[in-house]
Amino acid sequence: MNASLGGVFLLGAGYLALLFACALAVERGWIPLRLVRHPAVYTLALGVYASAWAIYGSLELASQVGYGYLAYYLGVAGAFLLAPVLLLPIQRMTRTYQLSSLADLFAFRFRSRWVGTLVTLVSALAVLPLLALQVQTMGDAIHLMTGAASPSMLALVFCALIALFTILFGARHTRLHARHDTLLATIALDSLVKLAAMLILGAVALFGIFDGPADLQAWLDGPGLARQAEVTHLDPGQWRTLLLLFFAAAFLMPHMFHMTFAETLSRRALLQAGWSLPLFLLLMALPVPLILWGAQRIGADESGLGAAYLAFGLSDTWWVDTLAFLAGLAAASGTLIIISLALSGMILNHLVLVAHPPAYQPDLYRWLRWLRRALIAAVVFGGWLFYRTVGVHHDLTTLGLASFVGMAQCLPGMLAVLYWPGANRKGMVAGLLMGVLIWLLGLWLPLLTGMPALVVIPPGLEALQGAPVWYAVALEALAANILTFILVSLATRTSEGERAAAEACSVDAVIRPKRLPLMASSGEDFKHHLAEALGEEVANREVDRALGALHMSPHDGRPYALRRLRDRIQANLSGLMGPSVAQDIVDRFLPYRRDGQAATDDIHFVESRLEAYRSRLTGLARELDGLRRYHRRTLAQLPIGLCAFGDDGELLMWNDALAELSGIDGASVIGSRRNSLPAPWAELLGRVLAGPHSHLYKQPVELAKGQRYLTLHKAVLSNGDEERGGTVILIEDHSEMKWLEDELVHAARLASIGQLAAGVAHEIGNPITGISSLAQNLRYDTDDPDLLETADQIQQLTDRVSRIVGSLVGFAHGGRHVHGTTFAPVTLHHVTEEALHLIHLARSGQDVVYRNQCPPDLTVEGDAQRLIQVLVNLLSNARDASPEGGEVVVAAEPEGRGVSLTVTDEGPGIDARVRDHLFEPFTTTKAPGEGTGLGLPLVYSIIAEHHGQIHIDSPPLGRERGTRIYMWLPTTREDGENRDEPDSDR
Amino acid sequence: MYVYRIMLFLVFGGYLLSPLLMSGWSSPETAWYRPFVIWGVLIALSIWLEQKRKLDER
Repeated sequence: MNASLGGVFLLGAGYLALLFACALAVERGWIPLRLVRHPAVYTLALGVYASAWAIYGSLELASQVGYGYLAYYLGVAGAFLLAPVLLLPIQRMTRTYQLSSLADLFAFRFRSRWVGTLVTLVSALAVLPLLALQVQTMGDAIHLMTGAASPSMLALVFCALIALFTILFGARHTRLHARHDTLLATIALDSLVKLAAMLILGAVALFGIFDGPADLQAWLDGPGLARQAEVTHLDPGQWRTLLLLFFAAAFLMPHMFHMTFAETLSRRALLQAGWSLPLFLLLMALPVPLILWGAQRIGADESGLGAAYLAFGLSDTWWVDTLAFLAGLAAASGTLIIISLALSGMILNHLVLVAHPPAYQPDLYRWLRWLRRALIAAVVFGGWLFYRTVGVHHDLTTLGLASFVGMAQCLPGMLAVLYWPGANRKGMVAGLLMGVLIWLLGLWLPLLTGMPALVVIPPGLEALQGAPVWYAVALEALAANILTFILVSLATRTSEGERAAAEACSVDAVIRPKRLPLMASSGEDFKHHLAEALGEEVANREVDRALGALHMSPHDGRPYALRRLRDRIQANLSGLMGPSVAQDIVDRFLPYRRDGQAATDDIHFVESRLEAYRSRLTGLARELDGLRRYHRRTLAQLPIGLCAFGDDGELLMWNDALAELSGIDGASVIGSRRNSLPAPWAELLGRVLAGPHSHLYKQPVELAKGQRYLTLHKAVLSNGDEERGGTVILIEDHSEMKWLEDELVHAARLASIGQLAAGVAHEIGNPITGISSLAQNLRYDTDDPDLLETADQIQQLTDRVSRIVGSLVGFAHGGRHVHGTTFAPVTLHHVTEEALHLIHLARSGQDVVYRNQCPPDLTVEGDAQRLIQVLVNLLSNARDASPEGGEVVVAAEPEGRGVSLTVTDEGPGIDARVRDHLFEPFTTTKAPGEGTGLGLPLVYSIIAEHHGQIHIDSPPLGRERGTRIYMWLPTTREDGENRDEPDSDR
Repeated sequence: MYVYRIMLFLVFGGYLLSPLLMSGWSSPETAWYRPFVIWGVLIALSIWLEQKRKLDER
């Protein structure tokens, strides 16, 4: 009571300077981000609800209605306890569609800019008394501390500082729907200060005035009983109405809506606030009766302080007054900051921008920012003006209740947004106008003009005669609002756009977005279209921002991706200029192409939404979703390529096997048109889609892996009343089968050539025998040494020809498996020489050096011709693998009861994966058409007939490259031995 | 979702029955702190349900 005006100014300015310092510390990063973004900070920031009403108004109410003051806290606590079913769906909508205020949400849901304007006007009118209440408590507190007759100018200075703070730290971003760490931290500090101050004041009462809880209880049971008897108890109807008003305030009041939904916080933080905010409110509510009873005990309530400001009478000490003042200032400043921020955004989007659309602005962002700043200052000043002209004539309870009753008129609309898709714009507007009219006549205009409240009690509600005005007006306005809303909604038609928006907003939303192509064909194209509305710079920035958020390329032309880009740009513009203006811009400049085709459901989008909301499904829906996921997985992981097209030719599915075969990731093509798929898929799939046949067999296509042969099967899905049509295509890779077929044809051709060669060799044999005989005769017929030498040479040459022919015939016959072959001792050196002789006949590999290192006396039991065949095969493989000038060595040595025979080359070696399959038919390391893949299986079977063993070392032990074929053959054949398979390490 | 229904039931049940509670709190025989104890119990219940919900969604 004895503080100077200057002292109080310093105290208030000092506190506001502390807020500036806190904001600066957060902004500069001096406070760790994990601390700033802790869910507790969010909860404390939500404590902005506890405005100056919670500090002073609650005391006033508690002195009048006892525990009835708890309605202010319990209503909001109830709303937050229901956060999962009530607040989370709103948060989902506001985040998805970038809606930052109640007006945005209503304008979006009811598809009308005028609805947004109406809600903004109602909010502004309803909030003015609450703003005035904040300023009034400041003025009254200054008056109580200083005794100043007119504290309003100091209150104006505080208002100016608060507006400056809001402009500096709250309106820095153009977007309303952005996270303001600085703002959240500052409001949290505000909440912390008012909570601490209230708890200390409560403790002063409990332990300073009373001697603890027991003494308090004794006072209440004794001397205090008379004081409590003066309290008017609320009847059940009034109590429930109060609860409902404060319940609605939790998500309808502009500052609460802004703090709960527009500050983009996580779902987890909101769920945690479901219990932590009620806890905060409990701690705020607890000291209120303690302060009241403490003041009553010491008789402070009879000193003319006014019930609202009894905290100033708890003690004569300066610090108690300071605490009471700071608690009020903290509460009022937080509320003023957030209300001005939220309301300025609403006015900007739904009044200013609607009246003056943002035609081409050289710097749109700057223009919007300055408009917003001016509006913030106007809102705060409006609150001060209302206090000066109206507020001073009323108590806090009257001002507060007028505000809460007015805002509650939006409750039917909000419940319809969430739970009644059948509600329409006409019903909502009619209901709201009806409710607001009753409220204006019953509470607001009497507040403003001092005229008596105009409350008409309809027949049947005579019980309201004599009830408090706020109660009668609240009940009548809400009842009229709800009835009109329901009747008009049922009686009038709902537009298609509204129905779609209603589905998107509904809690159990069955989101069935439609699929239509856009006029714009790529992200770059979007920029050109939007530049007409926003200017080139802003259009570029907005499109780039949306592309970045969606991780899209500006050249992506997929219809699905373009639709998502359009949605994202609309949501972003909504955050910038409100949903009405954003929708207008997008509809005008990014229109859909409606060339006669009907819109179909966007299945891919529906699926992606279902995936995102899976954890919310329960019961049958969850079971069905499980089934859907199972079938989806079955198709996605089918080992055969699968893709599906909608009726409009848009690709809906591209499974894993097809992604692997094509090398194209499903996410990059799903949603595109068939003709925009990369080559050769556009043409190939187009052929099967357009063709009359359901199957296309072994179509040659050139893929990254080389040439493949694909077989395609098509099934057309019929388009029924409730069923979506389309085409599903299975794609099988038949390349392996095609190559095997080619190899078989090649092998058959080689076999024919072999037989032909054997026949030719046989035919050559006869004349050669004749030539040899004639040469022999010539030797007997002459003694001429020259002729004798010539005859000798002819005979040597014919012998050589005979040997070659003999080898050729023998090799040709050796390919056939002959049962009962008689084995005889075979000299490996000789067999190797024969094989080398045949190999040398081939024209290729002339520069390869062959070495026969088999000892001449080493023999095995076997079929010489078939062993030659083995060596010819192995040597020809070695020759093909050898580099120019390479060496191929055939070596043999005794090993156990047999002989080991090796063929070693210096080639590049054989891949381990192929090596294990080389003895299987048609496995080859040679280029297609060069090898049959039959040589080594033949070798394997011949060695098996000889009861030998064979394996491949590649590279051989101790070498870095090359291949060694190791064979072991028994020296003697054992009777009764009946081994069909050779041992090998394959 | 089942957890949410429990909370829905509790809050609306509490809303309907709250006048009865109010008259009980106002009677002189009642300890002054009883409303706050009931409120605290409701918060504890809410924390417990929140933990249960987290487990459900895992």
